[in-house]
Order: sequence, then structure tokens, then C-alpha cells
Amino acid sequence: MPRSASLRTSLAFVAIGLACLASADLAITTLHPWRELGRFTWGLVTPSFQEGGTLGLALGKTVAFALLGVAAGSVTGMGLALIYHRRLVRVSAAFVRAVHELFWALLFLQFLGLNAITGLLAIALPYAGIFAKVYAEILEEGDRSAEPALPAGTGKISRFFFARIPEVWSHIRTYTVYRVECGLRTSAVLGFVGLPTLGFYLDSAFLQGDYSRVGALLLLFYVLIALIRVWLRPWLVPLYLALAPLLLGGSLQVSMGNVTRFFTQDIVPLGLRDGFSWEALGSWAGDLLTQQALPGVVSTVVLTQIALVATGALALAAFPLICRHFVGRPEKVVTHIALVVGRSTPEYILAYIFLQLWGPSMLPAIVALALHNGAIIAHLIGRYADALQLGPDTPRNPLVRYGYEVVPRVYNQFLAFLFYRWEIIMRESAILGILGIHTLGFYIDSAIQNLRMDHMVALLLITAFLNLGIDAASRIIRAHLRLRTTPTYEP
Amino acid sequence: MTALRLQGATARYNDTAVLKEVSLTIPAGQRVALVGRSGAGKTTLLRLLHEQYRETGALIPQDLGLVPTLSVFHNVYMGRLHVHPTWYNMINLVRPLEREVAEVRPWLERLGLGDKLFAPVGELSGGQRQRTAVARALIQGSELVLGDEPVSAVDLPQAHNILGAINDRTRTVVLAMHDVELALSYTDRVIGLQDGTVVVDRTTGSLSAQELAELY
Amino acid sequence: MHSIRIALLAGVLLLWAGPVAGQTFAFTAIPDQDVTRLQDRFGKVADYLEEELGVAVRYVPVKSYASAVNAFRNDQVQLAWFGGLSGVRARLLVPGSRAIAQGASDRRFRTYFIANTATKIEPTESFPSGLAGLTFAFGSKGSTSGRLMPEHYIRKHLGPPEEVFQRVGFSGNHSQTIDLVATGAYQAGAVNFKVWQTEQAKGAIDTDRVRVIWKTPPYPDYHWTIRGNLEERFGKGFRREVAQALIGLSDHPEIMESFSRERFVPASNKDYQRILEVGRKIGIIER
Repeated sequence: MPRSASLRTSLAFVAIGLACLASADLAITTLHPWRELGRFTWGLVTPSFQEGGTLGLALGKTVAFALLGVAAGSVTGMGLALIYHRRLVRVSAAFVRAVHELFWALLFLQFLGLNAITGLLAIALPYAGIFAKVYAEILEEGDRSAEPALPAGTGKISRFFFARIPEVWSHIRTYTVYRVECGLRTSAVLGFVGLPTLGFYLDSAFLQGDYSRVGALLLLFYVLIALIRVWLRPWLVPLYLALAPLLLGGSLQVSMGNVTRFFTQDIVPLGLRDGFSWEALGSWAGDLLTQQALPGVVSTVVLTQIALVATGALALAAFPLICRHFVGRPEKVVTHIALVVGRSTPEYILAYIFLQLWGPSMLPAIVALALHNGAIIAHLIGRYADALQLGPDTPRNPLVRYGYEVVPRVYNQFLAFLFYRWEIIMRESAILGILGIHTLGFYIDSAIQNLRMDHMVALLLITAFLNLGIDAASRIIRAHLRLRTTPTYEP
Repeated sequence: MTALRLQGATARYNDTAVLKEVSLTIPAGQRVALVGRSGAGKTTLLRLLHEQYRETGALIPQDLGLVPTLSVFHNVYMGRLHVHPTWYNMINLVRPLEREVAEVRPWLERLGLGDKLFAPVGELSGGQRQRTAVARALIQGSELVLGDEPVSAVDLPQAHNILGAINDRTRTVVLAMHDVELALSYTDRVIGLQDGTVVVDRTTGSLSAQELAELY
Repeated sequence: MHSIRIALLAGVLLLWAGPVAGQTFAFTAIPDQDVTRLQDRFGKVADYLEEELGVAVRYVPVKSYASAVNAFRNDQVQLAWFGGLSGVRARLLVPGSRAIAQGASDRRFRTYFIANTATKIEPTESFPSGLAGLTFAFGSKGSTSGRLMPEHYIRKHLGPPEEVFQRVGFSGNHSQTIDLVATGAYQAGAVNFKVWQTEQAKGAIDTDRVRVIWKTPPYPDYHWTIRGNLEERFGKGFRREVAQALIGLSDHPEIMESFSRERFVPASNKDYQRILEVGRKIGIIER
């Protein structure tokens, strides 16, 4: 029976999560965490919009990077979607997806430098992989009946644009707009590694304890995302894309010398640069694996598993609050706003905030991951539950109704979304290491700070393979439990 | 084009033969009606003919094969994609050129769709859609038109209009039809199918409606 | 189908790339403090250099020590205000580059070990062995005063930091280290003595909660480093002009004040031999 299989799987994951929790470092190390949280909250409600010009420019550049990056990723992704049946394309797309945008940015920074191209590629490349997959799925599901009726001798491109694209255009547009929203979050976070987007100013304001400025930046960002359907009008997109390069400005020059040096010298394992030997390679790999990769992988997995369970718990607890079967309209609006804030704030920024407030341990990372991902799943499940029709004999006690009527009926959908986000949580867990939690990101950042590109690239590859592994595991479990999410309904 | 030829054509669908060893020759300039119950093999026969004579034949599929999100103009213009370069087609997708609109309009007027030029096909009635698909086939200017129930969704006057338009435009025609009267009045030859084999193959003049009705 | 048109048009627009910049002399600095303070300080320096050198000068802010070194290595900047360690690293990576100027006080730089008052560790003349078992915050992973030198002394007196301390962290910059120790996020830490003095003078440090417990012996630290290949781009003798202009900053008290230094004096690569040796010994510099 499918439900008992779902339940068994859930319990197994909860047990793993608890075991990980026992080994995790969860200390709050600041002496006055609540005072800091209070100051931060106060900053949020008293935002300071001084130096409006800088704020506007930060926001403008965030949008410019997002739009150009997503546009380039979307065009490339569409091209790849057409040949997605080729194994090489599928594998490459999966690989570029498996590496977090921030890691791509850190990688490109090493040989392209602090350059608009670095930011654009960091968004465009992983997004191309995502678009390729989703566009291919959308095209796959589209109606192809118009094709045989086209006259013989019709060119491939004409055929594609007349007979296939219009058919699925609305799905493509919906998904692409959703990705623009993701792109804005990514673009904002890229500021933390030095690109001139929102994160750059957020980081500076935080380091100065200027919480009112942090508040202003965050509020502007929420407004930007909340109003995305207002300002992202189709006829304005070409204008935006034309203006964006002007806004990014700066030099777009790339020194081929730097690129060549990076790939031919910097990433060669240190011991092998003066000549190859198996012993040197062995000791290089041995040190890397035991001192960095292994502890990094363990922490990443521990964090991921705890965050996954916490995400699920939060989503299950929060979805009734936006569901018509449990709350009235006014309450629904309030929770809805809370969930929008939760899912609009990138995990990275949430983790950064909690880390500032509570000090470095896994706790802020878990809370950040659970809040962001839990908000997303709660939102989707809430909508799904809204569509359920409960019979007239439904129990009046809301707790009973929740436990006996609603949860059993949404549970499989819930698991589908949760396992879908498993890989995303893993990607984020790795990246949060940059903030000082000892996941893979920590070791990657250390390698960069120590100018050890050989270590960095090796660790990036390990991170990517870990992600691909989780992705495969997730697919196996979803297939086993017969869980399904459609591409355009993806969380 | 000289003639259409099928030699021992067989087709299977899920291990069931839907066409069994069908051989026929259709000389150029002949108008043929395919009649028979649904499942008799008409659609399959048309598909085989279309595959074999893609270069010269325009197809009106049973499911019409229209793109509902595009306008009537665009759907009909698809019949002209092969004569224009890709860039020209793209421009017409983005913004229909006057020249092409003028090309498409008479066909729509002939089929009674003149006022629907820029309406999305998704908003049309079944009959209007069918006429759009016919217009797309006719505008190709092929010597051969293969139609799978091209008048199934329209009323009788429109059916006459459509079949007349097809006959005016094209010399060689193969139409799957279920209306026996119409079949007799617009074609020269009737091929009756039953369970994937040809059971009747006669010139129209030598057949009566009653004889054909037995096939149904 | 309106939006299909838009998408096609957008695709065309993507094909043209942006403009290419002209010949600018660019410099950067390691981000050892708040970004706004750095912007303020180096904005002034950029204006000054532009006037003195007669070429366009641009300050490129970066987010990490490694980014500063990378920008220098990749020739995105031709001049940089480095710490001892970052400077040594940069010069190893860019043959022909040279240290040309340093603050007078940078010849005798120090790291202050600081501790939260709740630890009850008293200031001492000798290395405070009571640190063992506490949580400890370094500055940036690539900092001389926040990482290299304190780690050197910790290893010398106690052992490898990750074994000695209950928890080791990297705050990112010195201002942040002071905050983290003051709030108790870490019990102790290592901080650039200049930053400590500046913050203290401003009254920005809560001395009831955090205090200095030990001062390292002096070592060489901050300095200006310039790339070697500039003559053909900026003219003969350009390096000397830059060095003179930087030393000439000493006559501009308001800029020197933002550096918390009295004057700049000439420097050379060999001034930093000691840093290179310590770096190699600790294993931060691997070749």
C-alpha cells in the first residue's frame, strides 16, 4: 500500500535526521542573541533610505544581472532542450545544475576576475542547465500534431517556431518568469562574493551593524519581487535587456592569458606541477580527501538531512495557516505574507542574518534552510489543499480534520515536493559553508583564500557529484513511492 | 506527378493489422473517396500515402493539426513556410506582412472565414477550425490533396463549398469521407475499406448510395 | 502571440555586447575593515593619484583578501594596498612586481590578542596559555595580523589552533572580530592593533566586555605593491612616479589620518622575507 511505504520512508528520514542532530553543533554562542535579534527587527521596521541613489543602483544592478543572466540561460537552455535526448547534453546539463551559482561565481572570479561577465555566467550557466531540462520536459508534453501537416521542405527553424513553440508558449513563459524571480535572488546573493549587487551592500551594512540600512535593502528587495508581475511586462523586456548592459558597465575584457593559466597551471595538483608521479598524486589526493573533502561531505550531509526534516515539519505545520479548511481570510493574508517573505529571502541571506545574530554553528543554517524551503512547500501544499473538497461529515475539530482528513490526502504531494527540494537543500547546505559552517563551502572558500585552485576545483567536483548522487537518490525514492511533480508546478 | 501507387501496403497497430496487403494505383487527375466504418483503415491508408508522397501532397489530418494559440492567418500561412526563407517566416510570425495577408485572405474568404483572419484558432468553432485546416492545405498549391474527413464538422452548404474549393484548386484528391452522397457528387472513384482490406473499388458513375451504405 | 515577438527581439538584443574600457590605472586594497570606510579612504587616494600621475585612476573594491590578490595577479589592478601575507603571495604570483611603499608604523606592526571579559583572562606580557580550550576568532583567512602571525604564535606556544581551541572561526575582518568577541560569539580573538586603536579612539569598543590580553612582538605588515609591466602602458619611469606619489601622500594629513598612519616610506620586497618564512612554516604559503 503506497501510504504505508510513504510513512515508512518518512520515518526513516526522520530517524536519520535525529541521528544527525545528535552529532551536530547547535550552540548559540552570542551572549545576547535576543538583543541582537531585537535590534535587527527594529532595523527592519525603521528602514533608512538614506543614500537612495546607492540603494537604487544596487537594486538596478541586481535586476540587470538577473535579467541578462536568465535571458542568456533561457536562450541557451532552449537550444539544449532541442537536443536534450542526447546523453552528453543531459549529463552536462545535470552537472552545471549541480554546482551552486555562488560556486560558479567563485570559480569564474578566479580567471575572469571581478567582471560583469563573471556575474552573468554564474547565473546563465547553471540556469541554462535548468532551462534545458524543464524546456525539454515542456516540449515533450506539448501537442505535436501540427507538424505532420506542414508542407514538405519547411525549414527546421520555421517548423519549430510555428508548430511547436506557440503550442507550449504559455508554459514556457510562466516557467521563465518564475526563473526570473529565482534569478533575482541569485543575483542578490552574488553580491556577497563581490559583485555590485544587493548582497554587497547588505554585507557592508551588516558588518557595520547598520540594521536600518539592512532593513531598507531587504524591504526594497521584497517589493521588487512582490511586484515582479507589474514591472516585468513582456513589451518592456527588450528595453530592460538593452539598458542592462549600460547599467552593468565596466570592462568586459577577458584576458585569455589568465584563462589559459588557470586551466593549464593553477588547477594542476600542487605536487604534480613539476612532473607527474603516482606517489605525488596519491599524497595530494589523500590529504585533500581526508582533511577537507571527507569532513566537508559529512557536515554537508548532516546539515542537509536535519534541514530536510525541519523543512518538512515546518511545511506540515504551516500549510493549514494558508488553507481555507482551517483559517479565514484575514489570517490567511497574514500567513501568506509571512510565507512570501520566507520564500523570497534567499537561504543564504537568511543564514547570514541568523549567523550574525546567534554565532556560528549549524543552528542558524538549519533555521534558514527550513524557513525558506518550508515556506515554499507550505505555500504549494496550502494551494493544493485548498482545492480539496471535504465532505459534509468532515470532523469539526480542526486538529482531527487536519490529522485524519487533510494530511493523509496531501501527504504524497507533500513528499513529492520535499524530495524534489532535497537536492536544492543539499546545494544550499554546501554553499552555506562560505559563512563559516564547516560544510563543503567552507573548504572551498578556504582553498580560494589560500589560492589553492587545485583544491578548489577538486572540491567543487566532489560537491557536484554529491549533488548528483542526492538527485539520483531522490528520483529513485520518488519513483518508488510513485510521487510526481510536473515541470511547471515545480516548487 | 504521374500516379499514386501503393504496393501490398500493410500496417499494424499494437499487433492488430489495420491495413492488409492493400495495393492500388491512382492516376494523376483522379478524385478518390475512401469510405468505410471508423477503424476500417482509411486514416492509415491516407497516412501511408502522405508519407510516400510528402513532396507533392498536402494533408488535412483528422485531428486538423492546428496550433490553437496562433491566429487563423498564421495557421494558414504555415502552408507557405516551405516557399519562403526562414528569416521571412520569422518576420511573419512576429508581424504578418501585408503581402502574405493578401495571399491568405482570399482563401479564407472563399471558405467563409474572412472575418476571422486574426482570431486565435483556439477561439474558433469546430467547423471554423476545419475550414482553417482546409485553407492551409489549399494554399500550398500542391497537385495532390489528402483529406481525412475534411467536412465532418461543417453543415451541408459549407461542405459543398469546401469540396468545391478543393476540386477547383487541385487535380488529384484522396478524401476519406463518411457522407456517401457527398462522396458520390465530388469524386470520380470510390474505394471502400473494411477491416483493412479493399472491398469496393469502382467509378462513381457505377455506384449507388445504397450499395455504399452497406459498408457502414 | 505578442510575447513571442518580444522574446525574438530580446534574443537579437542579447547578441551585442557592451563597450570596452580604455586605459585606466586601477588599484585595490585588502578589505580589512568596513567597506564604507575603505571606500572613503581609497576614493580620496584615487583622486589624489589621478592628479599626481595624470592618468585615469580607479579604485576597485573587493570582498576578500584572495580577490585582491587575484585582481592583482590577473592585471585587473596594477597597484594594491596589501597586508604582509597577501603582498608576499601576490609577488610570488606576479614576477617582476615590487613592494614600493609602506606606512612608517607598518615596519613594526602588531597583533593584539583580545578576550571577552567573561573569560577572566588577565592581560600578560608573555603568551596567554589560558586561551587553550576557548573559542577563538581569527580575522580573514588570508590576513597577516588576523591569521598568519597569531596562528604562528599559537602554534609556537600551544599547538595547531584546531586542536588547541574548542572552536575556531574566521570573522572576515578586524572590526567584525572585535564585535564577535565583545558579544561573546567567540571568547577570544586576534586583531590588527591599528584597527583596535582606531575603534578605541572612536569609543566604539565596549571595554567592559572585551579587552586586550596580549600583544605580539612587532613584524612587517601593510604596504603598496605594484606590477612590473607598466612602462609600455603608462610611460617610462611610471613605477618611480607612483612610489613618489604614494610617499608624497605623507603631506596630506587628512588622507594619512584615514590610514591611521603618519607617513609613508619606501619599501622593498626583502622587507617581507620574514612573512614569507612564517607563511611557509605554517603551510599557508606552499611554494
